[in-house]
Parts: sequence; C-alpha cells; structure tokens
Amino acid sequence: MFLEDVKIIENIQIADNYYLMRVEGDKIPEHSKPGQFFMLQCQDRSRVLRRPISLHNVDGNILEFYYESLGKGTEEFTKLPIGETINIQGPLGNGYDTDLEGKNIVVIGGGMGMAPIKYLIKNLKDNNKVTFIGGGRNAGAVKIIEKFNFENIKIEVATDDGSVGIKGNTVDLLMKILKDQNIDIIYTCGPHPMMEAVAKVAQENNIRCQISLEERMACGIKACVGCSILTKKGMKKVCYDGPVFESTDIVDLDVIDPNGGCK
Amino acid sequence: MSNRLNINFLGKKLNNPIMTASGCFGYGLEYKDYFNPNELGAAVLKGITMEPRNGNSGTRIAETPSGMLNSVGLENPGIEEFKKIIPSIKKELHIPLVANINGKILEEYIEIAREVEQIEEIEIVELNISCPNVKDGGMAFGANPEMARLVTREVRKVLTKPMIVKLSPNVTNIVEIAKIVEEEGADGVALINTLLGMAVDIRKRKPVLGNIMGGLSGPAVKPVALRMIYQVSQAVSIPILGMGGISSTEDAIEFIMVGASAISLGTGMFANPTLPIEIKKGLEKYCKENNIDNISEIVGAAHPDGGAAYRNRLGGNYEIKS
Ligand SMILES: Cc1cc2nc3c(=O)[nH]c(=O)nc-3n(C[C@H](O)[C@H](O)[C@H](O)COP(=O)(O)OP(=O)(O)OC[C@H]3O[C@@H](n4cnc5c(N)ncnc54)[C@H](O)[C@@H]3O)c2cc1C
Ligand SMILES: Cc1cc2nc3c(=O)[nH]c(=O)nc-3n(C[C@H](O)[C@H](O)[C@H](O)COP(=O)(O)O)c2cc1C
Ligand code: FES
Repeated sequence: MFLEDVKIIENIQIADNYYLMRVEGDKIPEHSKPGQFFMLQCQDRSRVLRRPISLHNVDGNILEFYYESLGKGTEEFTKLPIGETINIQGPLGNGYDTDLEGKNIVVIGGGMGMAPIKYLIKNLKDNNKVTFIGGGRNAGAVKIIEKFNFENIKIEVATDDGSVGIKGNTVDLLMKILKDQNIDIIYTCGPHPMMEAVAKVAQENNIRCQISLEERMACGIKACVGCSILTKKGMKKVCYDGPVFESTDIVDLDVIDPNGGCK
Repeated sequence: MSNRLNINFLGKKLNNPIMTASGCFGYGLEYKDYFNPNELGAAVLKGITMEPRNGNSGTRIAETPSGMLNSVGLENPGIEEFKKIIPSIKKELHIPLVANINGKILEEYIEIAREVEQIEEIEIVELNISCPNVKDGGMAFGANPEMARLVTREVRKVLTKPMIVKLSPNVTNIVEIAKIVEEEGADGVALINTLLGMAVDIRKRKPVLGNIMGGLSGPAVKPVALRMIYQVSQAVSIPILGMGGISSTEDAIEFIMVGASAISLGTGMFANPTLPIEIKKGLEKYCKENNIDNISEIVGAAHPDGGAAYRNRLGGNYEIKS
C-alpha cells in the first residue's frame, strides 16, 4: 500500500464524459490485483474526501485510470494537465480472484464498469479461456474497448442503440454463450441492473459469479465504517472485504447502490 | 524529539497532544501502512456498545462543502468481540488506548462502563453522549442537561479510569452541560461531536443519506468547535480534548489557543492519512520558533487573559481530580 504524489503523463478524453489518465510513480504497487482501487485526492481541498477509482491497468511503474466525469471531483480530474502531480492512495480492496487455470471464463463490463476489466483480462488470459462481453448505452460508452487490443480474446459488444455491436444488452449475449458452452466463472462490473441480471443468470445456472460493488467511501481502509453492507457473512466493508464479492454472498442484490452499481 | 510536546493528560503522560477521533481511526491499526500509530499521543477507538450493531442502512456518507455527513449509526462488533481484539491491538500499540462507549438507555451505559473498567489495556474512557445517528439514547443524553447529569453520575460510580465526556454541539447552551458533567465527576470533556445536518440529491428528489440526517464534520464545523471550546474552557476547570475539522498545524494551534489541552483528528485523516505526523512536526517547529518550552503553555492563549486563569485552574499537571 502506498501514498504518493504521482505524475500525470496522459489524461485524454475517450468519448463523451469518459477519460483515461495515466500516471507514473516511483514506487510501484508490486502486488496489485485487478478489481482493486485507489483513492485519488482532489486539488481543491474543500473536497475533503478522496475519490475511489479502479485500477484500469498497470504497466511497469505506470498506472492507468479510466474514469467518468460525473460530479465536481471527477470534473476536476479532467482538467489536470500533463506534468501535474496527484496524490494517490492504494492499491485498496480485495480484487477479483485471478488465481485460476484452465477455466472457461466470461468477463462482463458495462459502461464505466469497464474500468477494472482491462487489467482483469490481462491477468486471466494466459491461463484460461476468456470471453469478454462489453456493453453500454452508446458507442461512446464502449469506445474504450478499442484500447484493449488483446490477442486471442473473444470480444462481443452490445449497445442499447445498436450503434456498435448488437442492439441489446450484455445479458442477451451472455445467454447466447451459455447455450453453447460450459462456463466456469463469470466476472462482472457495471451498472446495478446489469449486475443484478448477470448474477441471477449465474445463480440459475450454478455458475460462480464475482461482482464488484460500489459504496460511498471516506477512508477506503475500514477505519470509518462508512461503506458497510450486509452480506450472508455479516457486515462487510466494501472498501476492504470488497469491492469484489461472490454474488451468492450478497443477501439481496438490491443492496447494490442503485446509483452506480459497480465501476 | 524534544519534550516540547509531552503533556500530562488526565494523569497520563502522552508523547504529544495528538489523538485520533473516535469512528475515524478504526480500532487503532488501520492506518499503520501510512504512519506508525505509536507516534500519536493516544488512540481513541471506534465507538462500542454492549451488543453488536449493524448500523444504519443505505448510503452513509455524503460530501458537503468543506465537510462530510455520516450516518454510520455506531456499527460495531459489540463489547465481547472488542474484549477479544484489544490484547492483540495492544501488542502493537504502546500508547494509551481510549475506548469510546455508547448506550441506548442509562442501564446500557452503566453496563458497558463496567465492562470497559475491567479491560486492562484501556487507560481512558470517552463517554459518548452525543452520537446524532442513533435513534434512542446517543444525542438525547447529551442534549438534555438532566440526562447528561444522570448518565455521567451513574457511569462515574462504576468507572475508576479517567473519563472524558464527549458533548453534543447540537445544543443551545454548551457551557451549562459542560459544567454539569464536570460537577458529576468528568475528568475532561471532548468537544465537538458532529453537527446534525442533511443533503439532498436533486436528481432523485431524495435525501442523500439512507438515514436522511447525519453528522456533519470536517473544516466546515471548525468555527463552531473553536467557539464552543473557547466558551467551555473559560467556565470549567478540567481539560478539553478538542476536535472538529482540524486539517493542519495551524488548525491544531487554534484549537489549543482557544483552550484544548489535546486534539483529535477525524475527517482530516481521510484526505490526508499522514496528517498526525505533519501536525506533530508542525507543532514542534512552532514551539521551537516561538521559544515555547512546552505546548501546554499556550492552552487558552486566545482567552482575554491569555489563558492564565484556565491554566491555573487546570493546575500545571492537569492532575486527575477524583
Ligand atoms: C471501489 C470503487 C471503484 C470505482 N472505480 C471507478 C472508476 O474506475 N472510474 C470511475 O469513473 N468511477 C469509479 N468509481 C465511482 C467514483 O468513485 C465516483 O464516480 C466519484 O467518486 C464521483 O465523484 P465526483 O466528485 O465526480 O462526484 P460527486 O457526486 O460530486 O461526489 C461527491 C462525493 O460522493 C462520492 N461519490 C459520488 N458518487 C459515487 C459513487 N458512484 N461511488 C462512490 N462514491 C461516490 C464521491 O467520492 C464524493 O465523496 C468507483 C467507486 C468505487 C466505490
Ligand atoms: C465516519 C465518522 C464516524 C464517527 N463515529 C463516531 C463514534 O463512533 N463515536 C464518537 O464519539 N464520535 C464519532 N464521530 C465523530 C468524530 O469523532 C468527531 O467528533 C467529529 O467527526 C468531528 O471531528 P472532525 O471534523 O475532525 O472529523 C464520527 C465521525 C465520523 C466522520
Ligand atoms: S470507506 Fe471507510 S470503512 Fe470503507
């Protein structure tokens, strides 16, 4: 875990309100896992809380964040120029279980939920068979997939308006895949209704499913108890015990923040 | 390091006057990846109750201008679990540990005080009569002078450990309540807990917090905290643990100058996890530059008389009275 001022080396708009930030630090998070996140500090100190942003990718001592300009804090991030520093804290949380071999895996990312997916696929692809399903409202929401450029990964895309891929949603694509293949595990991250639907399909088909939840956070390290949710294993901190949970541990999928679902 | 920051707080020798604020520092070790918690003067742990509590449901945190709202609602594992984890925490934390105790009804306050009295590793007790996030008890005790008197009196009977009473700022006359708890045997008072507030999500046309209202903390509450500590320190003869929006050395000095003998850091740690170390260095530097032999010399310095009367009442050592 580290707390460091890192240098911004790229901060570009991918589409609409979607941005990609690349930062370079001296210390490298050696043991970071996909699904983990960082707490990014705002420059305007009247914003007293850091913003949790997932690890999009790690490349040597370069970290990537894929984020959406949503409110004042993330809007501030979009304006940070190259060469500026930003204080980051992390990697935090548990991350997805990537300790797998020879599995047939479906990874589903929806909209901003694409954030942890690139790093996740990177960690799974060499030892497993991975199919990636990406979805979003429109072309802008799935544009980031162009930057994934993995070889040997089957990529399927769905958009609500049909502007890219099929017209429909990620669950339609998942159902199609399940008809022809035996899937061992499903990983997902995306808006609430999507994750809920994916988790239900997984449960009905007895497939292990990991989902990444989102809650408002203050400390990010289980010190404030702000991000607790009720699970079948008792109260858990999304920042520490999560953000990734086994879908079967979630008491009621409605506990997933209807605002954001997972990112 | 010199002795400039050493203080005697409620009879305990502290390396410095910097503590954590209950509910913002977990159970003492959560921040150890960012600084050595033994560098603190003391650690105030997350509030505990007799029974485990799940806290409030729904969104519990909202950011507000220069502050935040929380409606955690005292989620905690209960006293039995607390008793189990404390010895292992004490193995790593060699500074005094302060337990923050809470109840819904008077009997529960007494019961938990009895339990904490038995826990060897706990050196100081902070009696929280000011949590705005629990429906019964909590703030009701701190907002009503006679309830505050009763709970302090009854808890004092079962507690020989130094006791700080944490007051609610959600009252008209804070001085009255501080004097009452002093009369009933409090060794110190903690000021301030959070201010009751709310935020609205205009897109959903609904309050942001699941519990609708929550406690406001952070720099936004600092002026209120300073005012209350200033007023209370001129009326009592017991030390004050000051908190509410401290996020820099300058803030810490302001709190000490209005009358705080020690300070607690809460929300400020979320943005800046190494804040205690920054403030420790800052205070040391400030004392050195201003030829202050010991930080306690400036307690109340902003009072009309420069704090002399208050420091005199506290006695050089801030000894325990009872
Ligand atoms: C574990 C985790 C990982 C995340 N990863 C990403 C990511 O990779 N990319 C991305 O774009 N977004 C991600 N988010 C969501 C992101 O944190 C929020 O969109 C962001 O904090 C909003 O801040 P703001 O200042 O723009 O919005 P405002 O509404 O102005 O924020 C006000 C406050 O609310 C908090 N907040 C608001 N919305 C959310 C939310 N949905 N989740 C958590 N806190 C929120 C903010 O942190 C801030 O404290 C993640 C959230 C979590 C919990
Ligand atoms: C998330 C959170 C949880 C808190 N929990 C407790 C608690 O359990 N007991 C308590 O006495 N005060 C609690 N408080 C109040 C703080 O200890 C402190 O009095 C208040 O936040 C003001 O200080 P600050 O502005 O530095 O945060 C909590 C505050 C926050 C922000
Ligand atoms: S954000 Fe503080 S406990 Fe999770």
